[in-house]
Amino acid sequence: MKFGKRLKQQIEESLPAWRDKFLSYKELKKLVRQISSAESCVEYGKADAEAEFVHLLNNEIDKFNVFFMEQEEDFIIRHKELQQRIKRVIETWGPNGTKPSEAEYKDEMAKIRKDIVNFHGEMVLLVNYSNINYTGLAKILKKYDKRTGGLLRLPFIQKVLQQPFFITDLVSKLVKECENTIDEVFPVEQEDEEEIVKEQREAITIAGKGIFRNTVAALLSMQEIRRGSSTYGHFSLPPMDLPDSDLIHSFQLNSPIPIV
Amino acid sequence: MENSASLQESSLAPSNGTLGNSSLSPSIVTDHMCASALPHVQYSHNPAFISQSSRDLASLPPLGASFSQSTASLIHTQGNKDVSWSLDRLQMFLDLPENTPAPNQLVESSTGVLASEDHNKKTNWQEWADDLINVVDPDWSKILDNTNVLNPRVEVPKPSGDISKQQPQFHQNQLVPHGEFSSHAYPSSTAPPTKPRMRWTPELHEAFLEAVNQLGGSERATPKGILKLMNVEGLTIYHVKSHLQKYRTARYMPETSEGTSEKRITSIEEMKSIDLKTSIGITEALRLQVEVQKQLHEQLEIQRNLQLRIEEQGRYLQMMFEKQKKVEDEKGGVPSSASDDLLAPLPGSKHPPCNNGKSDSEALEQDHSRTGIGPGNAGTNEDKSSSGVSTKQKMLETESTVHDESGFSVSKRARTEK
Repeated sequence: MKFGKRLKQQIEESLPAWRDKFLSYKELKKLVRQISSAESCVEYGKADAEAEFVHLLNNEIDKFNVFFMEQEEDFIIRHKELQQRIKRVIETWGPNGTKPSEAEYKDEMAKIRKDIVNFHGEMVLLVNYSNINYTGLAKILKKYDKRTGGLLRLPFIQKVLQQPFFITDLVSKLVKECENTIDEVFPVEQEDEEEIVKEQREAITIAGKGIFRNTVAALLSMQEIRRGSSTYGHFSLPPMDLPDSDLIHSFQLNSPIPIV
Repeated sequence: MENSASLQESSLAPSNGTLGNSSLSPSIVTDHMCASALPHVQYSHNPAFISQSSRDLASLPPLGASFSQSTASLIHTQGNKDVSWSLDRLQMFLDLPENTPAPNQLVESSTGVLASEDHNKKTNWQEWADDLINVVDPDWSKILDNTNVLNPRVEVPKPSGDISKQQPQFHQNQLVPHGEFSSHAYPSSTAPPTKPRMRWTPELHEAFLEAVNQLGGSERATPKGILKLMNVEGLTIYHVKSHLQKYRTARYMPETSEGTSEKRITSIEEMKSIDLKTSIGITEALRLQVEVQKQLHEQLEIQRNLQLRIEEQGRYLQMMFEKQKKVEDEKGGVPSSASDDLLAPLPGSKHPPCNNGKSDSEALEQDHSRTGIGPGNAGTNEDKSSSGVSTKQKMLETESTVHDESGFSVSKRARTEK
């Protein structure tokens, strides 16, 4: 139940509008169990059960696709708007602008920085959304095959790999572009980084729900999920290499369910 | 496996609330399913499978609040807007399952390896689409004509500097076909115009902006005008309309005040105000946030690539199995030890067995491209593959150390690693 728990955790930490868009992992697992136990019932043929199961999976995939593409479209628009906004601010209040004003400029830049960082975070979370749903699907399929002796997993997962929600290239590209913009918009780093980082750590642990929290949860979940299990096998992911693991662990002091 | 027969009775009947194989992809559908239509599945002893045909949806078994809620939420949230709800249902049906243009033109990714399979898929789905058009009701075909939906062969110009922003003639719209996975029945109401799910790209958005600006700004521009100016094949007024709406929202409600962002913004603001008190500076806190976000992204990319490769290998091995079987059958049951040795380790993974795995996997991948991947190729490449298989056998035999009875030697070593 480890993945299920992790997934639930991530869902809880996620942005409210996203919460019902994730994989219904628990229910599907229950279904698989039902199918395997109902197998002996002649009434309820195996092929029917499989059809039903596939149908439900398809529904889930639809859900992901729709949501993902909506978000993606939004990101495209917002990305462009942000860039134009930055341009406007620089041109208006910047040092060489039409009406240079340091105070306004600083003010606006501060807002932009906050917005762009959150925007970046939201996009990364969408990629995470894609990935965790994929992972869940892969797991469910594996369970299905295991319990029913079926051969559903391999062909089905091939189809999943081609689904829009799994093809995250565009969002990743936007993320990278966003990072470039962030570099441009942020002042050059100071030298006393280390001290600052330590103090930040303390400050940020006071955070409530939010993108940052979600991001931390996602990273740690990933690490956990890949720590290996009793069913570690040929199709399993190797353990994760997460630099700054300690730092990130320290971010979740307030978690009701500690991600240990 | 193609099966236009099953498609015929599938979701082209808008008025029935049948479930199950209403529009399941031919490739996923099992033989059994093709043969029988399952109009109403009644499993009295198992509430999980009772179809809710009265809801005009393909089965939504009440497995759990969140489950049905999630699948139904799409319906419910749009319940008030009947037209757009119907549109959504339809759009899912009419989407085609292949999204081949996308990988080609987006970031160069691991899709390079999948390219050959994509190509196979292209032809498969084109045939499927053609079948679909022929099978369609007169009413529907009129609607379909309108939007060119079933024409997934969109011209995709090479993504580089050739793309001039001035050009209104963009063919980069991607009609995202995922009819394969759409399994909803249709509302019994009137047949609404189609609205296949459109996958927007930055280039397409640029074209959109061009058009909007030419028409005097987001307030003055009309969807019809924009559509005309953009002149993109396959783009419908509904796409433009919804996109325009999103655009207007984004413009007049900048980042900070967007609906979903409000909650998170306030919490981060609280965080930042505490920062100020401890004189850390918002900037630094933001920097840290970006760092963590970057890490998550990086890890996700790594994970995704791994997942792709795992499945690719799995697929390849599957094919090897099948070829092996054929060879065995042909040879009249000569025992082949290689069939046990097909569990090659993951390339690039951290497991010790991959020491010899790396060179093997490279060879595997070469073979991969030689013999061609995809079930469709298995037949035609029979000759090539049988010789390929025998060399495979020898190579794989050297890997017999990797494999043990349970097939999980990899995992055992991984465990001791920890």
